[in-house]
Amino acid sequence: MNAREQILADVQSALHRKNDSPVAPIPASARVAPRVAGNTDTEMEMLFSEISKLGGITGRIKKSGLKIALEKLVKEQKVKKATLWQTAELAALGIAPALTESGVQIVSPYADKREIAECDLGVTGVDYAFPETGTLMLRSSPVKPRAVSLLPRVHLAIISAAALRADLSSAFAEVRGSNYWIFITGPSRTADIELTVTLGVHGPKALYVWSVG
Amino acid sequence: MSEVPAHIDFRANVQRVPPHTPVSVRKATSKFLDTRQAVVEVVSDERWQALRQAGHEIRLHTLAHLDHYLARLEEKVRDAGGIVHWARDAADANRIVVEIARAHHVTRAVKVKSMATEEIGLNHALQANGIPVLETDLGEFIIQLAGVGPSHIIAPAVHLTKEDIAALFTQKLGVDAPPDPLELCAIARARLREEFLAADLGISGANFLVAETGTLVIVTNEGNGRMCTTLPPLHIAIVGIDKVVPNWEAVNVLLKLLPRSATGQKMSAYTSFITGPRRSTEEGGPQEFHLVLLDNGRTRILKDQVTRETLLCIRCGVCLNVCPVYNHVGGHAYGFAYSGPLGAMLSTQLLGLNTAADLPFASSLCGACAEYCPVKIPIPEILLRLRRRAVEGDQIERAVAPAAIQTGAKLGALTFGIPWVYEFGTQMLKYVQAPLQRNGWLPHLPPPAHRWTMARPFPAFGAHFRAWFRKRKDEGGRMKDEE
Repeated sequence: MNAREQILADVQSALHRKNDSPVAPIPASARVAPRVAGNTDTEMEMLFSEISKLGGITGRIKKSGLKIALEKLVKEQKVKKATLWQTAELAALGIAPALTESGVQIVSPYADKREIAECDLGVTGVDYAFPETGTLMLRSSPVKPRAVSLLPRVHLAIISAAALRADLSSAFAEVRGSNYWIFITGPSRTADIELTVTLGVHGPKALYVWSVG
Repeated sequence: MSEVPAHIDFRANVQRVPPHTPVSVRKATSKFLDTRQAVVEVVSDERWQALRQAGHEIRLHTLAHLDHYLARLEEKVRDAGGIVHWARDAADANRIVVEIARAHHVTRAVKVKSMATEEIGLNHALQANGIPVLETDLGEFIIQLAGVGPSHIIAPAVHLTKEDIAALFTQKLGVDAPPDPLELCAIARARLREEFLAADLGISGANFLVAETGTLVIVTNEGNGRMCTTLPPLHIAIVGIDKVVPNWEAVNVLLKLLPRSATGQKMSAYTSFITGPRRSTEEGGPQEFHLVLLDNGRTRILKDQVTRETLLCIRCGVCLNVCPVYNHVGGHAYGFAYSGPLGAMLSTQLLGLNTAADLPFASSLCGACAEYCPVKIPIPEILLRLRRRAVEGDQIERAVAPAAIQTGAKLGALTFGIPWVYEFGTQMLKYVQAPLQRNGWLPHLPPPAHRWTMARPFPAFGAHFRAWFRKRKDEGGRMKDEE
């Protein structure tokens, strides 16, 4: 008997089960009613307030003011190199040209990981967001490489109101076909030294979340 | 890096606890509990209790159908392009990982914090085979430098002060490290960044395995988990078979319980959801994904209806934080990767009574752990069951207690189990104790009871309790005084 058969046989013998034993449905009491959403404005407010509490920097920015906001961010964080998701949404906002105008060098997100690691800024969209916990959910795909939100020193996430979800359950139902996604709740943090919260251990040191519209 | 111990002597370990450990530990655990309290209150007690109940039932249901969910999980991971291995014990699991690493000519591995790999001593096995492996969670990085095992399952370096850590960095990394958490983090960040980029193998555990889709869920805060599972071309996850959950609804409930109970966060900074290897070069991520499903004693735990609930555990560590014993002695006294009430119940069963029979007795049975447990594990009940196993033996293991204690327990069971024997015994005690009695006290008792009277005299046995009580009342004792 190989290890697989042995382990499954041991499990079945411990549980007095056989290969064709029925599987009972999960009891109804194992379910918890999902959270009910408020209106879009209050939901966005809650999301931003939770992210701010965790040390993230949030902003509501008009499309016309995006260029100025980016310029300010570039100055504040001394951004020299940046990389971006290649989605239609980000392209439509003209983020890459605006950054170039501010003197930032744009690095392809498909470049070698060492080059991405040298970027000061990574710009992504947000697939879903959960106001209750201040959580952003980012799926990966060929136009949404995983390293963009991970390796650069600063992460800027652009969110639209359409991404808001009341509870995890609805988003899980929508993404279960994806092979990779990540929840991001505030900047990278640790409390491993005397329980002192320190931001930016391995992931981005700063997280900016902007709703543009 | 911890090694699997041959025998755990809890009392001797307690003697070796450094004097400042309880202070550091209590500082940390009370902070954990304060932040937990704050985020649980926001949820409201009613909803929190409903979540706990749901968590309990989900986990119990999964265990009761574990064979089904494991088979399903395996199928789904394969469908997603992952490779599934099964390991019966630690040696199996270590061999599998070493073989994969060798086949891929791995030169350096980076690791996410994982209790399963601590349990099997994976780092030791890899290094013995010439494969360097680096812990990348800050706490684990620190204890790896110090050459000790974790003292808390969530905060592994909780027993060390910032001064200890600064001294360690200065000595082992050859840098000038000040005792400042921010500076120490910066040193670790710079040091580990290069390792993440250079590593050709990333090793992780998992918090949950979702059977419905074959997805690995990893809850982290620092971002090292993402680095290890995104940058190297090869990812191996070693996960206990107890970590499987049926579906996404279950994940939804458990993700509401775990971070709140563990670190007092509504959600941890990063939670990764990984299904198989990458699907395109553009998105990035490992080209190859292996899942090692680990038994290592878990199927044996499943056999006993009472102790089975040990496997409901989602490793949040709150039972450590509330435990008065853990708070006094810290994690290392428990002699293995798992400590506190979790260690007392899990290590005992994983390692067996010959190694760890001390541990179920390392508890005051106050029950705080069960009250806080997010999946409602009846920890004191399980510890009592394990104590009984150590003394009397059961269908899982033979008794290991000394013969005198085994005989004593048998006599005790006999005496308390049959009313007339008990009656008779209480009558006889009067006569048996007569030669030893001095003014209502027994100053010296024969072995093994002499260990008690070496410290203090034993009160002489009175008559029948009910007779004594009646007499006391008739004589107008305390009962009347209080009226």
